[in-house]
Amino acid sequence: MRIFSVTEFIELVNETLQALGTYEAFAVEGEVSGYRVNQGQWVTFDLKDERSLVNVFLPIWKLRTPLEDGMRIRVAGTGRVYAKYGKFSLSAEQIELVGEGALRKALALLRHRLEQEGLFTSERKRELPRFPRRIALIASRDSAAYGDFTRIVCERWPLLDIHLYNVLVQGERAPEDIRRALAAVQASGEAYDAVVLTRGGGSFEELMAFNDEQLARDIFASRIPVLAAIGHERDVTLAEEAADVRGSTPTDAARRLVPDRRDVEYEIASRIRSMSDSLLRRLQENRTALHRILESGSHWASRYRIQVDAWASATEGGMRQLLESNRERLQHLTRLLKGLDPTAVLARGYSFVQDTRGRVISGVSRLGRGQAIFVRMKDGTAGATVNVVKKQF
Amino acid sequence: MAKKKVAGDFGANFKELEDIAEWFEREEPDIDKGLAKFERAMELAAQCRDELAKAEQKVKEIRKKFGEHDTVSLD
Repeated sequence: MRIFSVTEFIELVNETLQALGTYEAFAVEGEVSGYRVNQGQWVTFDLKDERSLVNVFLPIWKLRTPLEDGMRIRVAGTGRVYAKYGKFSLSAEQIELVGEGALRKALALLRHRLEQEGLFTSERKRELPRFPRRIALIASRDSAAYGDFTRIVCERWPLLDIHLYNVLVQGERAPEDIRRALAAVQASGEAYDAVVLTRGGGSFEELMAFNDEQLARDIFASRIPVLAAIGHERDVTLAEEAADVRGSTPTDAARRLVPDRRDVEYEIASRIRSMSDSLLRRLQENRTALHRILESGSHWASRYRIQVDAWASATEGGMRQLLESNRERLQHLTRLLKGLDPTAVLARGYSFVQDTRGRVISGVSRLGRGQAIFVRMKDGTAGATVNVVKKQF
Repeated sequence: MAKKKVAGDFGANFKELEDIAEWFEREEPDIDKGLAKFERAMELAAQCRDELAKAEQKVKEIRKKFGEHDTVSLD
């Protein structure tokens, strides 16, 4: 019989357990119970079935999926006795969820955690440029998604350079592959306006690569805005939630990425039209204004003319009036003068006496006996001699 | 005023066109300024249309070993 020390015995047991094979050789399936994280770095829980229980231990960085009590999982690792306490546990290397239920549950947990961390907040989302020039497309060259996406982009917008980063879009290695591509895009030094990450529809498991926590974090940290469109409308992966813009399908992603050239051409034409309308309107307004000015000018002129006319006619009237009144005075004077005309008196039968020199003798005092006089009548003159002078009155 | 060249950057040209259009909406343009701007807008519009008409989609594949930047054309 061999005698071992306790330490030797535990070492022997551990060596025997090691000999069972590496973690790739087997896995233990059961249900999680008593899940705990110690000091933020050590994960422990019990893995149970109906009759038995084994303690599972692993550092948290090896845990790639969130766990919760009741989840059905497969644990690959090595059985080991912890020497200090003699406690047996399964030291896990890899943990895999079993069945869609567990996957969905884990995804819900992870989603909640990332949401709490702020990876999906709308304030962090960046807008894509309206006219992107160059983009990095992370997709599988052989996928329908790639074909759909590039076809729609070509139809809509010819001004786009697409750089394809060909990746695996499903399977275990896909998340790593996509992350490497995303890192290569950041490191490329190309002036990419956006990164487009897309794949077509698939089963829940097939799309799981896009629910990878690290991928979601890398997308969130991308310096270039990310547009992600994975699967169909109803599938919302973490990659899409962490992205700046989500397209429901690859085709929708193409529509969100680039405008339709016909819309843009129409917009250009209508902008030009509204500019020319505005100019023409301005010209018309100027013409109207000019017209108005001219019109008001002629108003002014005609008003002025009326004024001038008024003045003119007033002046003329004045003149006429002046002339009129003068004429009346003239006539009056003429009448007066006519009354004074001695010949008019002679016509009525009067006569007057002149001396020999033609001077009018208006009284007898200037007459003497025998004086020669002339008597002037209406139709001639008669010479006479004064016989008698008789003073009357 | 020295005439600005119209460069072949669709986004920049479209932006300038938009700015001019907004100027027209905002200002009570005097005819001379308006005509000059309109002329510029016509140039930009022609350039934009021209670019769209001439362009062809280019797709390059970045080789699988990400980081090496040799590319292949997929036309």
